[in-house]
Amino acid sequence: MISGMCVRCGGRIAALQKESVVREKARQLSDQASYPVIYRMLKGIVLCGVCLDALPLIGHDICRQCGRDRELQASIGNEGLCRDCFHGEDDQILVANRSLLRYEKGEKDLLGLFKYRGDERLALYYGTLLAITVQRYYRSMGFTWITMVPLHPQRLRERGFNQVDLLAGHLGAAIKIPVKPLLLRTKDTPKLSKQKGRAARHESMREAFVWDGQDVPVPSAAKILLLDDIYTTGSTLRSCAKTIREHLGPSCEVYSLTIYR
Amino acid sequence: MREYLLYIKACGGSIPQVQTYVTPSFSVDRSFWQEREGCVLHVIGKTSSLALAFSLRAKVNGYLMERVGTGRMLTDGYVKELRALAVSSVCEASNLYGREAASVQDRREQRWFSWESIEESVEVSYLGNKELGKLPGARLDYLGGHELLRRSSSRVNIQEAVLREILDGRALLWDEVESLLKKRGVDVNDLSAILHALVLANKAEWRPGIRFAVIKGWWRNRLELVCERCGSAGEKVEFTYCHTCEQGCAYCTACLGMGRSKCCTPYFLMDVGESLIRSADHLQNVARLEWAGKYSADQSRAAERARCFVANPRPGLSEFLIWAVCGAGKTELLFPSVTEALAAGGRVLIATPRKDVVLELAPRIKRVFPGAKVIAVHGSSSEKWEESDITIATTHQVMRFHRRFLLVVLDEADAFPYHNDPILYRALSRAVKKSGKLLYLSATPPGYLQKRLVRKGRSTLGSSGAIPLFSDTHVLLPGRYHGAALPVPKILAVQDLHKRVQTNRIVAPFIEAVSSSLNEGRQVFVFVPRVDEIDRVLSYLQKWLPAHAGEMAGVHAADHMREEKVLAFREKRYTVMVTTTILERGVTIPKSDVVVVGAEAPVFDEASLVQIAGRVGRSVDDTSGSVLFLQAERATSPKRAVRQILQMNSLAQRLVEQRGLS
Repeated sequence: MISGMCVRCGGRIAALQKESVVREKARQLSDQASYPVIYRMLKGIVLCGVCLDALPLIGHDICRQCGRDRELQASIGNEGLCRDCFHGEDDQILVANRSLLRYEKGEKDLLGLFKYRGDERLALYYGTLLAITVQRYYRSMGFTWITMVPLHPQRLRERGFNQVDLLAGHLGAAIKIPVKPLLLRTKDTPKLSKQKGRAARHESMREAFVWDGQDVPVPSAAKILLLDDIYTTGSTLRSCAKTIREHLGPSCEVYSLTIYR
Repeated sequence: MREYLLYIKACGGSIPQVQTYVTPSFSVDRSFWQEREGCVLHVIGKTSSLALAFSLRAKVNGYLMERVGTGRMLTDGYVKELRALAVSSVCEASNLYGREAASVQDRREQRWFSWESIEESVEVSYLGNKELGKLPGARLDYLGGHELLRRSSSRVNIQEAVLREILDGRALLWDEVESLLKKRGVDVNDLSAILHALVLANKAEWRPGIRFAVIKGWWRNRLELVCERCGSAGEKVEFTYCHTCEQGCAYCTACLGMGRSKCCTPYFLMDVGESLIRSADHLQNVARLEWAGKYSADQSRAAERARCFVANPRPGLSEFLIWAVCGAGKTELLFPSVTEALAAGGRVLIATPRKDVVLELAPRIKRVFPGAKVIAVHGSSSEKWEESDITIATTHQVMRFHRRFLLVVLDEADAFPYHNDPILYRALSRAVKKSGKLLYLSATPPGYLQKRLVRKGRSTLGSSGAIPLFSDTHVLLPGRYHGAALPVPKILAVQDLHKRVQTNRIVAPFIEAVSSSLNEGRQVFVFVPRVDEIDRVLSYLQKWLPAHAGEMAGVHAADHMREEKVLAFREKRYTVMVTTTILERGVTIPKSDVVVVGAEAPVFDEASLVQIAGRVGRSVDDTSGSVLFLQAERATSPKRAVRQILQMNSLAQRLVEQRGLS
């Protein structure tokens, strides 16, 4: 990576100009205790001041289940939930989801560059964003492991890389929690975004994963952080969480973390 | 997972010949050699990394050259030595790769490259060439290949011929080959075997997407990785671990937008075959030019020179520059050259830097050449993979061609993506056929092109100044098509220009120039050096010219309203447009004036300022206009730009005088 180049606009990063934006954003994202950590991470992020300022950060009023920004929703559900979570089945498979950014037009292109084109340099950028999210929402949670949504082996061979894998590596190094691949994908589902409707996506995701962590010792009450790039309806993450809980027992708690919501 | 086998071919005879080959399917090679000559094939080993296989091939070949070239026979013991050499090279490459990639990924316990040594020697006896004379490639009809394939799909050599038709003159990554074949509806069961047969027969070439070699150094050896597609190396190549080949595998970030070029992806380069020769009637139809316009005397002179260059069969002469001032009518100049190339049975490529130019140019060319098939190729175009006589492409798409075109025209050779970009120049020269021609079009050719192509010494005007009007490799068109002189910019130094603008103090010449233009009903371009100055200058103008405040707008590259704003400016809903260099070319607005605020800034180089001045007075109705360069301090590039414009004007003047005399 050529240091000093912004990953979004390709321009030079002017440290002086960035400084004020970093301070403002760090204040917005943190309370007093986490400010220094988040400040440092934001300072190290490969974005210029203008692009950092333009990041579509999720605000303070979020759904306590899925982490969605409730300010942008037309009809808001009750009890701190968004409409989807309020009406959806509340089966506690996934304790909560948290994300940092809203999925907007420009973000779509950048994620596409990372996910489909395979620009692995972006892994560092997204990894830092995830680390900031952990600091923002999941501080002092004491996770046992980080794990991620796997890619089907066939797809992995075609593509040559797994973007979430790379993210997990960077995140694990940043927050010092071991990364363990626990799952294996058995169903090669077509691209989720090509499938229409919540029910169809939910159906296609059913039993798509199996347990793959043979040699992993089973702790009594594990807290697992499940990683993915984007939470749309949550069916992928829920299906993964279900498989994990089936194996580790009901005392295990699965939290999920995504870049986009 | 594709695997590649490395083997040495040794054939006896009076002079022992040994050569190393890489193959994806050994059986193809065996039958290929059976048809040609008896030999012994010593298998060295196999790997799934194509780049590794190629680097080993180079290494073993070098070794063989040294030893066997001097007369030593290839004994079993020697082959064993070579196998050991391969193993140690893999080990070294693995270590070197690990050192570079350690920051990216940690694989301390595993090796980066895997190599399976195979000890096997196959004796191949000569069986005679059964297929000689049956290869239908040369006689295959231009588009009838699919029919033939459907009728006898079992025949491998027919599949081969069809593949040659489709891949003719293209340079594609493996994935692109697959998607192209799918798009054409061709279903080939063992693609790599057939393509490899083509490679063995010397009709195509394949390389790894990223090639690597171990460079020996005095301190320590290092791994050099070069992208075969775009030629970039060093920081542009990113080290990583690949799940496709399950090895260390680097990819190129410079041409990532065109698909991932990496160590394990084969990159195919197919030469143009002879199947392109078509009937004379057909050629005549393709090359038919239907254009009612007329050249000015200067234009016809330049067009004729360019045509002569294209028609000239002399081999060394492969580059030509048409240097025509802004508004000289460059596109029309091309028509005779394009006709010439089409009539010779070649394909033509017109490369331009921007997508909007492609979209604007394609229908124009289509109208002029009704018999030819014209396609517009850009990132999101649907006709990208079609066959055509004339291809109009954006810069990066040129990378997908390999010696395909008889004539390649590069429009605006000095514009942003081409200027000083070795990747794109490399791609261009690769797209030209071996005997083909490369034509540059520019109003402000960069220094390196001038140095190379503008030959001094021959000029009809005698002492016409520094720039000769034409030579073997260039032609200069100093006047506009309507004959009027280029507007000469006025340079004005204003002390504390930027401070004055910032603090809203009046800059009289600036405000006067803008307001007088507006009062005459003209439109004004205001160029500023940086994006953040757009708003400042805009509000400054709005403050000092409140009567026109509503008709002013600012636009920059990342503006999402960019197209709407430029359109509104064209439609005269805006009268003042504050902008950066993005509008320096392409936008033509009749009856407009130009002011550059801060002409001393480094972004405004000589070429850029000449282009900016060239916005003015382009239409026949309004050939004059004012150009004002405001600078805060003394700078060379505005002066040089003025000098260049004056030079062009005097050249044009002399040409007219000379014509008057004769």
